Amino acid sequence: MKWSYMDHWRSQGPHGPIDQWESRATMDRFLKQVAAVGYDAIDTFDFRWYQIMGEYGSVANYQEFVQERGLDRIVNTFHAADYDPRVYAPHIPETHANILEDFRVTMDRWSGIRLDNIIVMPATLYYDMEPVTDDKIKITAELWNKVGEITNAAGVKLTCHHEFFCGIQSRAELDTFYAATDPALVNLFVDTAQHCIASVDPIEFYEAYADRVSGFHFKDTRHQDLIGDFKRRPDSEIMSDTTAKWFYEMGDEDGLVDFENFMRAVARNGYDGYLSVEHDKANKLGGDHAESTAIAAWYAKNVLERVAAEEVAR
Amino acid sequence: MIRWSYGINQFKPQFDDFVRRRDHLRALRVISASGFSAVELNAGSGRWEPLGNPQQIAANFGSVAAFGAFVREQALDTVSSWFWDPSIRLQEDLTHGDDASSSSPDARAALVGHARWFSSALAELGGDVLVARPAASAAQLASLDDDVIETLAESWTAVADAIAVDGVRLALHFDFYSALRRDDGLERLLQATDARVGFAVDTAEFTIAGLDPVAFYRAHPDRVTHVHLKNAAAVDDLDEYTMPAPEFTLLRAGGSRAVPRWFTELATEPLLVDAPGFVRSLAEHDYDGWVVVESDLTPHPPTSAMLNGWEVQHVLAPLAGS
Repeated sequence: MKWSYMDHWRSQGPHGPIDQWESRATMDRFLKQVAAVGYDAIDTFDFRWYQIMGEYGSVANYQEFVQERGLDRIVNTFHAADYDPRVYAPHIPETHANILEDFRVTMDRWSGIRLDNIIVMPATLYYDMEPVTDDKIKITAELWNKVGEITNAAGVKLTCHHEFFCGIQSRAELDTFYAATDPALVNLFVDTAQHCIASVDPIEFYEAYADRVSGFHFKDTRHQDLIGDFKRRPDSEIMSDTTAKWFYEMGDEDGLVDFENFMRAVARNGYDGYLSVEHDKANKLGGDHAESTAIAAWYAKNVLERVAAEEVAR
Repeated sequence: MIRWSYGINQFKPQFDDFVRRRDHLRALRVISASGFSAVELNAGSGRWEPLGNPQQIAANFGSVAAFGAFVREQALDTVSSWFWDPSIRLQEDLTHGDDASSSSPDARAALVGHARWFSSALAELGGDVLVARPAASAAQLASLDDDVIETLAESWTAVADAIAVDGVRLALHFDFYSALRRDDGLERLLQATDARVGFAVDTAEFTIAGLDPVAFYRAHPDRVTHVHLKNAAAVDDLDEYTMPAPEFTLLRAGGSRAVPRWFTELATEPLLVDAPGFVRSLAEHDYDGWVVVESDLTPHPPTSAMLNGWEVQHVLAPLAGS
């Protein structure tokens, strides 16, 4: 069982909060902390490419820097696109040429290393896609089938990660989307907290699509969105009036995700890829990325690996 | 064989911090996740020191044994050791600190009694080293004549004999503002005692005091029963260790230069402590005991534990074959 750490990190620098990309020294400290508590690899965002080129010269050089700190490699990259209905929106066919070209460029930029997945939020913000119709979802699916061909040609799986505030987030929308996409081209990346917030049971959903799942974000939440925060303008994720912090590290005492049974399902289905741990915005409300990273690692090793072994032994 | 432990002290920067069960649970899990197998406790008194002494532990966990189970539930093997500064007042029995430099029978009995209080609980927790501050601060103990050294030696020998009943060894822990820094006090106390009285080497405290921890260890490998491993960021070359109230004016305020942090992680520049060199010397002499990595007064405890964990796993433990 191998664990990867998804790139979210803040620490205190001499001029205030910083991320690990600040310098080689801060990256060194970040990677050592991740490796020290038992993660095997990292995931990242591909918008980091510009900083990588400036600081390390190439993606392969950066990966070497990662490996020198005791980590296997970079497993996945998250393609965090700036969706905009004018130029870049999966449900708007006129923008598809831009999106396809973006992926051709992106895959070329990352071709120097082996990636398992490129992860996307497959729809715009919910309010930019409203009303969400079957037709819009099918147009969106057609785009991602084409993108999947591009990433497959580069040896990388395209996989979809459904934020609770994106245009495809309810169970009905998800089912429509996966019925319209080609399983050979479009995979699913299950984020336990995002689905939980959207009132989609992560275990049931995972079980329904286990053969299309190419990865996970293991993270927790204390809140479900029961009043439509997912449509909030201009932002749901960090500006919601009801919830100042949506995400917590797994093992959180007030968390809603049933990780033990989720892990049993993962083991039952024979998943053998990396398991990614995430707790984005862990620093909100006084949280601490380093502590959350260690606590999640402790939970992975001491709770989830145990229940997975039990499940396999059955 | 080196056994790697971590000091809990870094998690409690102020007296009203680190009092809740959740804090303890998360701290122990951070230590465990960072690759350490044990934790060193820090003696304290009163209800805001839930891990400070046997009475507070029992008040919070039901019993010492229940706290031991709590530690193991967080995937640590044991409590390695307990650090005790005898000068702290103990609200639990309304005493005002013990004085090892006193030859009064009552003072000696009180010192030994408190040492046993900690050592018996420590043994129940699975630990085997009581780490004690051997003398007051330099500002408090102005004279270190031969009589004082002899009294200290007698006091600590009595303590060592008493706690041996619990299977606990004594490790006298020199710090950089100790009275023992004056007049070669550390070496004289070592010579005035026999093998029953063990010593701790705290690599940062030695370095800040201008002593070479490697040289000390190599000179006395049979007397060193405990190690605190941490890096130092500055040396007290202004001899400010005699300042009054040095725990505040020097250790925390940083003296006249306002040193922001005396102690740093093992691989944080500047590297005034050669941690690999020190561990190599431990291995050369087949050191068999705890190495407690510390980062007291760090501004970021989880990060310090994790960075030190990386250094132990990838650099130091391979050097020691542990």
